[in-house]
Amino acid sequence: MEDTIVYAHKLSKTFKQKEAVRNVSFSIAKGEVVAMLGPNGAGKTTTLSLVLGLLKPTKGKVQVFQQPPQSMHVRERIGVMLQEVRMMDGLKTKEMLQLFRSYYPNPLALSEMIALTGLADADLTKKVEKLSGGQRRRVNFAVCLAGDPDFIVLDEPTAGMDTTSRAKFWKTIHHLAERGKTILFSTHYLQEADDTAKRIILLHQGQKIADRATEEIKHQLSRQYVSFRLNGKLNRAKLDMPDVLAIEEREERIYLETKNTDALISYIMQHFSNAYDLRIDKGSMDDVFETLVQGSREK
Amino acid sequence: MNKILYSCIAEVKRAIRNPYYVLWSLLIPVCFYIIFTKVFTFNDNAADQALWEAHYLMSMAAFSVMGSSVMTVGIRLVQDKQQGFITFLKVTPLPEYVYIISQMVGQSVIHILSIVVIFFAGALLNDVSLMAMQWVLSGVWILFGSLVFLALGTLVGTMNKVETASGVSNILFLGLALLGGMWMPLNAMPTLLQDIATWLPSYHYANGPWEIIRGNSPAWNNIFMLIVFLCLFMVLSVYIRRKQEGL
Ligand SMILES: Nc1ncnc2c1ncn2[C@@H]1O[C@H](COP(=O)(O)OP(=O)(O)O)[C@@H](O)[C@H]1O
Ligand SMILES: [Mg+2]
Repeated sequence: MEDTIVYAHKLSKTFKQKEAVRNVSFSIAKGEVVAMLGPNGAGKTTTLSLVLGLLKPTKGKVQVFQQPPQSMHVRERIGVMLQEVRMMDGLKTKEMLQLFRSYYPNPLALSEMIALTGLADADLTKKVEKLSGGQRRRVNFAVCLAGDPDFIVLDEPTAGMDTTSRAKFWKTIHHLAERGKTILFSTHYLQEADDTAKRIILLHQGQKIADRATEEIKHQLSRQYVSFRLNGKLNRAKLDMPDVLAIEEREERIYLETKNTDALISYIMQHFSNAYDLRIDKGSMDDVFETLVQGSREK
Repeated sequence: MNKILYSCIAEVKRAIRNPYYVLWSLLIPVCFYIIFTKVFTFNDNAADQALWEAHYLMSMAAFSVMGSSVMTVGIRLVQDKQQGFITFLKVTPLPEYVYIISQMVGQSVIHILSIVVIFFAGALLNDVSLMAMQWVLSGVWILFGSLVFLALGTLVGTMNKVETASGVSNILFLGLALLGGMWMPLNAMPTLLQDIATWLPSYHYANGPWEIIRGNSPAWNNIFMLIVFLCLFMVLSVYIRRKQEGL
């Protein structure tokens, strides 16, 4: 219990008619890096807002550091980057970083924050509203880390960043994760979730449809197939072996689902002299996503 | 404590750097002052004219400070809300009320500046001469009386759209100024409007210094009405904010 950073229990949120989040439960332990993955409108922002206490749940309960999320204790220990926040116009970038540091009991060193923004000295003395969109995102990220937070929440943090800033940003996140920070971020890029998070919570139409280790999700659901064509008829008995998970025949091809494509290919080469046009089809993360979404519909 | 201090300092900087400040709070009141004391003159004898010049100087100082209270604070709060900044504050250790108080403090520093500049303009342009005590008391009245309009500004600040807030605060500001007798002397207006004025905070606000420059002390009635309006605006503003939190 001590190590539980987030405890979300049966959260639901209804806006007027629209049910944006339905019955979502999860908890996050200290040091975990968790991605909340889902297409636009899946309910990621709403769920994060509930966790942060920015919205009141219609039903359910949420605690952060064993306390209500609005409590001062929580606010001093979290760092948050929300979608589309415009900071205080009229302040110079450096002044604003200083200002936010003054709000926290154990702030991050100013030099570290400046390094995080990646801004040149000239830009640090520019007013915040004069910065470009990408620069502003990075300033927001620095502000998010002003209190040297134990728990970091990021809502689609890379939206609007170019490829270079994006790579730099994830490098910093990996760094923070190594330092034992607990991180929860939302994204609709499968690749980002896969690269950075050890665990994925998959949201679809306001519901949680999967919550597993990233590796496990990929392993279990990235279906791999060996397929080939055959001169003659298939002797199914010869394929009765553990490496073959399922057999399917369509469009004059035979598809074998497997977790071990290498072993299966050499087996087929040895035992099916009439096989030709061998192919390996690996599922991408996109396929995984489709599969999970479909699986949840069938239930 | 530090939080409040730094937040106030930051807001003072933001307020001073606001480009509209110079226009609305300094240029326009001073122009009005020149027009209505130098260009058009309504008084035949010198004593009346001198009194009018002092009277209108107080009107313009009150006008400037009232305007910047209602408009700047109101619009800035709505802007910050619309840009997601108020939401963001809720996940930082800075309480929203501290933020609002800082806005008021920042604006008050601006008000001190406006009062000094406008008083100087009067003294230089028209040789308005008052006793030191009268200058100070009028300035202090205008500064502290502006709390009423700052509270009105935070009420405007509960609106959701900058366009509405800006429209509403413009109408409030200009309506209050006109009907409160800040542009034209009240006794030049129809009696119906004069009666309406006695129910407006702007009249009670400006009447303080109007009395002071005549060597009187402000009526208790003025202070009482200002306190009533202050309470009304604060209660409404807090109530609406509470209600919006429930989302
Ligand atoms: N304030 C709101 N009022 C009404 N509907 C909303 C509101 N916020 C979000 N929604 C709806 O809830 C659903 C989930 O939205 P959101 O959590 O923003 O999704 P995501 O962040 O995954 O893109 C969407 O269909 C959205 O239109
Ligand atoms: Mg979103």
